[in-house]
Amino acid sequence: MKALHTLGIVSALWVAAPGIAWSTDWELSADMRLIDSDGQTSLFDGGLGTLRYDSDHEDVQVGRLRAALTQPLGDVWALKLDASYWGQDDAHPLGLTEAFLEYRPYPVDGWRTRVRIGGFYPPVSLEDTASGWSSPYTISNSALNSWIGEEIRTIGVEGSVEWLGTRLGHDFDLGATAGVFGWNDPAGVVVATGGFSLNDFQTPIGGYVGGRGSPVFPENQLFHEIDGHAGFYVGAQARYLDRVTFLALHYDNRANPEDEDFATDEYAWDTHFNSLGVRVDTESGWTAIVQWMAGTTSVAPEGDSYSWPFYAKFALISRQWGRSTLSARYDIFGVDSNADGDFGDEDGHAWTVAYIFNQSLHWRFALEWLHVTSEVASRAILLNEPTFARENQTQLSIRYTIGSDRLY
Amino acid sequence: MTRRSDPIVGLVLLLVAAVPVMAGTLSVQANLADHGPFAGAVITVRGEASHAPAAPISAILDQINLAFVPDIVVVPVGSTVEFPNSDSVSHQIYSFSPTKRFQLPLYHGKPYPPVHFDQAGVVTLGCNIHDKMVGYIFVTDATYFGRTDAHGAWSVTNVPRGIYHVSLWHPLLRDSVASLERDVSVTSDEPAKTTLQLAQALRPAPLQASARSKDEY
Repeated sequence: MKALHTLGIVSALWVAAPGIAWSTDWELSADMRLIDSDGQTSLFDGGLGTLRYDSDHEDVQVGRLRAALTQPLGDVWALKLDASYWGQDDAHPLGLTEAFLEYRPYPVDGWRTRVRIGGFYPPVSLEDTASGWSSPYTISNSALNSWIGEEIRTIGVEGSVEWLGTRLGHDFDLGATAGVFGWNDPAGVVVATGGFSLNDFQTPIGGYVGGRGSPVFPENQLFHEIDGHAGFYVGAQARYLDRVTFLALHYDNRANPEDEDFATDEYAWDTHFNSLGVRVDTESGWTAIVQWMAGTTSVAPEGDSYSWPFYAKFALISRQWGRSTLSARYDIFGVDSNADGDFGDEDGHAWTVAYIFNQSLHWRFALEWLHVTSEVASRAILLNEPTFARENQTQLSIRYTIGSDRLY
Repeated sequence: MTRRSDPIVGLVLLLVAAVPVMAGTLSVQANLADHGPFAGAVITVRGEASHAPAAPISAILDQINLAFVPDIVVVPVGSTVEFPNSDSVSHQIYSFSPTKRFQLPLYHGKPYPPVHFDQAGVVTLGCNIHDKMVGYIFVTDATYFGRTDAHGAWSVTNVPRGIYHVSLWHPLLRDSVASLERDVSVTSDEPAKTTLQLAQALRPAPLQASARSKDEY
């Protein structure tokens, strides 16, 4: 009897199985650029420029070749992988920007929980909401989120809980997130020694930022564990209907600034920051984002203590009509330094104007003009050049995407 | 031969003629707070004296372009609703509403049998993959029901004479449902009419799911 019962369940599952979609969702995209730039040598080529493409990387360039997939594992687990090639000879050539297991149980009585395990972004960006942690408003990220893409990744576990008030007749949804991670001890080295830049590059897990062998800005490995201390972050989200989104995050890698990996000559950079932002979306297609972030990174090799307080903030205004989106953003950012000669000290601001035309699910055309003005003390120290620079970059992006309509 | 009228036949004829006269029309006009028409509002009508729920139906609530289509389905108690997924991406439908809790594990197409709704109330639907998707099933034990048209109007004909309780519901309603209930007398003389006027503006409708963003922050 019991065997018959089991058989019944098995055959019911068998019958249901063809429609149950545990199939893989995937996406492939190629984003090619046409570049005009008067920028200084970029961070990615071992310089102190603030743009992704410098004057040695003009004309046709690879923007991003991307492969992503979501593989459901049963009903409430999924494996998500996002791999990209950024066309930069001197950076980690191909790698996973995110790779994690996600647990999404069904909401119960208005409460939704999520768990992520692996490598992924903490919930900090209000602009990178499109697939592959990219921005639907511009090609280049704000200085704030460019830095997140370069240096910050959770390699660990994150849990979040959300109260779905709007499903219960209220006007608000509220959420809280907490993460514990390792392998992000070098985070802070790029902003302290290279400063902020504005780009759409995301350091793959295991990758680096910098020019291999550069005397000015050498390669910086970012995803290593050096001191054995786990870092953490806590975040809060609030949404008014689907019109106003608040996002707050406190991040601390809890690195011991006195620790050094002697094998690789890397320090543990004690980095913590707070970020706060709000995004407003209107029915008529307007979006406004304001985001602020401030923190400090420190190292203390051989008893000397150096710290670099840093901040970045931006305001973005965007209007979408039909398949077109026109956006403008103003960035302001800075790094203070107590090191010799103010090494790492920076003040900068940037204007970005971008027009994006989503012709179809397959083709996207984007044109962006980016102007950065920056004062970087290390340019005098390391390059014997003026500390002040104005840089301009215009890029045309043509992106072709195939795959499932929309990954989840 | 003269033809005499039969009193019984005469009485039957009189009754038959009287039947249409005993039924009337009930019209509802729903207006927004700014006095514009309230389209898509759910109207339910119950008889005060004798209460007869409408017969169960089989309804379909599709999923197209990451949205429930239609966004609201009104069904009598005892009805079934099928949830096909016409998108190429998977959906994972759930309800945690006390009226009917259910889950349809990750699927494409039409793998599941219809879901049975045996209790009156509102069922809020979501997709556990696409957080912005929201849909509603309004399960009613009313005799007559429907949704207002583009002019905010809804009506029902052949309603037996009597007192009827009219109510209005919509997911974006800020007014209390109780403040929008009316008792209306249906007679055979002229169509019964009632106007339901909102005092407060509706909640803003969800923004259209756009290709530019995912469901995440």
